[in-house]
Amino acid sequence: MLSKMLLGRYIPGNSMVHRFDPRAKIIAVFLFMIIVFFANHWTGYLLLVLFVLSLTKLAGLSLVFLFNGLKLILLLIVFTFMMHLFFTKGGTVLIDAGWFTIESEGVIRGIYITIRLAMLILITTLLTLTTSPLSLTDAIERICRPLKAIKVPVHEIAMMMSISLRFIPTLMDETEKIIKAQSARGSTFMTGSLKSRLNALTPVFIPLFISAFKRAEEMAMAMEVRGYQGEEGRTNYRVLDWQWKDTFAIILMILFGIVLFMIRQ
Amino acid sequence: MIEFNDVTYSYRTGNHNALDHISLNFRQGEWTSVIGHNGSGKSTLVKILMGVLEGYEGEIKVDGEVMTEENLPDIRKRFAIVFQNPDNQFVGATVEDDVAFGLENNGVGRDEMVNRVEEALRSVNMLEYRTHEPSRLSGGQKQRVAIAGALAMQPDLLILDEATSMLDPQGRREVLEILREIHREKLTTLIYITHDLAEIGVSDHAVVMKDGRVINEGTVEEIYQDTDALVSSRLVLPFTISLADRLLDGCYMSYDELVERL
Repeated sequence: MLSKMLLGRYIPGNSMVHRFDPRAKIIAVFLFMIIVFFANHWTGYLLLVLFVLSLTKLAGLSLVFLFNGLKLILLLIVFTFMMHLFFTKGGTVLIDAGWFTIESEGVIRGIYITIRLAMLILITTLLTLTTSPLSLTDAIERICRPLKAIKVPVHEIAMMMSISLRFIPTLMDETEKIIKAQSARGSTFMTGSLKSRLNALTPVFIPLFISAFKRAEEMAMAMEVRGYQGEEGRTNYRVLDWQWKDTFAIILMILFGIVLFMIRQ
Repeated sequence: MIEFNDVTYSYRTGNHNALDHISLNFRQGEWTSVIGHNGSGKSTLVKILMGVLEGYEGEIKVDGEVMTEENLPDIRKRFAIVFQNPDNQFVGATVEDDVAFGLENNGVGRDEMVNRVEEALRSVNMLEYRTHEPSRLSGGQKQRVAIAGALAMQPDLLILDEATSMLDPQGRREVLEILREIHREKLTTLIYITHDLAEIGVSDHAVVMKDGRVINEGTVEEIYQDTDALVSSRLVLPFTISLADRLLDGCYMSYDELVERL
């Protein structure tokens, strides 16, 4: 189940969507989040759905694949739909079961909200699926750079993010090793009540934390002797390349927003 | 190139000296091995040289100039170091990012950076892995990337602090092979810290340490000859050396020589 989860994962590829500048993608997703709320009747929602579907196609991802990866999120969407179905009143009464009624307004609102939520989730998933965590970090750093004026340590945060990302697989391996070592000493992780299973994790986390701190200390020393002194006087090896197609994509996004705004009723 | 004059250092928690009146000389263009058991002070030596530990007695001269707090940042730029754990010194998210890390810190321009990264990766035979993530590399490959990161800085001195001790025999061979090549081609000054006597064969000069003191120093032949000093410093003699010691007078420098003399 977990291996199929798509939230936050990156699928390497070379599609048009993959090749956009990560900054353009982040800005576009941000714009989309606003645009979604412009739609207020079915033509608007239809346009939204078509837009996201064609983007998925452009990214070279199949809908079935996305659907399978987002099954867990589906639960949330269904839940919101139900809430609207039962609690939004208005319009004609469709079903009257005495202690509850389903009214037409509820059905319509439910469908709209469902589409809205689904499109938001799809587009943010598309962002992480087509952009490597590293370029996302880079992009966030560049976009947030103006915040330095109000003393937000943008560079430091980006550095921490990229080092954390780099250590995830290392720590995963380590966790697995510790679990095996503790199992060999008679710990059981898969049986017993929830409480005893949680307790069994203590001897996993303590060695993990200790080693993580040791790693951090060694890493700090390695960084220091390699001349790391924070952002000052630092150059960048990775460069982001903003091209006309990125500007074009943003303009397209804004136009799309305007169209949706025009057809509001 | 580097001179230690009567250097003494003790850790705050310890009650004995980690370094006890050390006087040493590391010469330009030479490969010097420092051998010692755990706790012999060999890593402390490096940390002091890199300025990570402060408050030692005695003086260290670099090219005749005494090392002080003021000139330390400049001196440090001329040294590069590779540590023991391949995972904990890999800063970048990919191979090329990691090699570039030191260059970025020193404000090297982007065009030169790209050239230097490429050249450094080529000299450790890792160019084809440039976009790989560290989790997809073996220990030996990670250490080679670390060496590339050090070489990209074009250092006057390359220090390896037990750089092979966490590797499997295969990775160890790879790393030593690369180092030998680099030393031969670029005449880089090398300080090679190890506890494995079998690894010092290629060095020009060797230093044996025990309890913070230098107990023997000389060419590799001289070191191998004085087996008593090696045994007393709790180092494990390579099998062939103890064999030669028992059977012959004097020592040998290669398997062929040993076989011949036997």
